[in-house]
Amino acid sequence: MKIRLSAQTLRVIDALLSQPREWKYGYDVSRSTGLKSGTLYPILIRMAERKLLETRWEQGEPGKPPRHMYRFTPEGLRFARSNAPAAAQFSRTHAVGLGDAMEWA
Amino acid sequence: MTRTPRRFAMALLGAAARLSPPHARDWAEAMLRELDFVSGDWSALWWALGGVGAIFHQAGRSWGQKIFERRRRVEGPMDAKGKKAVGVVSGAIAAILVVLCAFGLLRLTDILFPALGIAGTEWTHWLSVIVIPEAMFIAAVIVLWRKRGPIAVGILVIAVALGLHVALHAAGH
Repeated sequence: MKIRLSAQTLRVIDALLSQPREWKYGYDVSRSTGLKSGTLYPILIRMAERKLLETRWEQGEPGKPPRHMYRFTPEGLRFARSNAPAAAQFSRTHAVGLGDAMEWA
Repeated sequence: MTRTPRRFAMALLGAAARLSPPHARDWAEAMLRELDFVSGDWSALWWALGGVGAIFHQAGRSWGQKIFERRRRVEGPMDAKGKKAVGVVSGAIAAILVVLCAFGLLRLTDILFPALGIAGTEWTHWLSVIVIPEAMFIAAVIVLWRKRGPIAVGILVIAVALGLHVALHAAGH
């Protein structure tokens, strides 16, 4: 196994798999997964160390500081797709849970 | 105008980025850059605190790996007996620490709240230094026996020693 597939890691995989060839920002992944920076970044770091994610600095407009971006490597994409059912299943379960919670709120 | 929590968050992550080891610096910078896009000053502060935690975690992991690598180079690969011995000793040390903590807490309570008269009541000693730690040791041994056998043995040794000590004390008095 390339990486321990915790519930949080599955969430990150699912979020990155939604548009797998697009570069994504850390804050956007945090918002789409609901993970805090303290949980999200260790996962991103581990995935990058295991060559599942590639990273780069975006050169934006002049005067604006660059942002760090992430997307799957080809190997990472294969790994993510092989675990996609688990990630999707987790997200569905999580979404149902949230829906229930919102109904109760 | 930048509000105080956001300013503090930026200072915190900036300091973490400067102080973090080289391999983690990029990640600290990444979290710092995202701070501009986090909506809400308090959310920015939570983002920064989480980020600092992540950097510490990363730095700690790499320091741990370095220490482990260095030790392995110096001492050579540890054989199975060595690993078991380390497990037994660490289990025993953990158990001794639990007893010392229990005893320390009892003494501290006695000093802080003398009106309770803990020093004069023997049952509090029995409960906090003997009964509760022994119960914890038995639970730990049961939980760890299969997966962390040597640690469980270390704990068991201290549990038996503590039990013997109690038995001898009871026989002597």
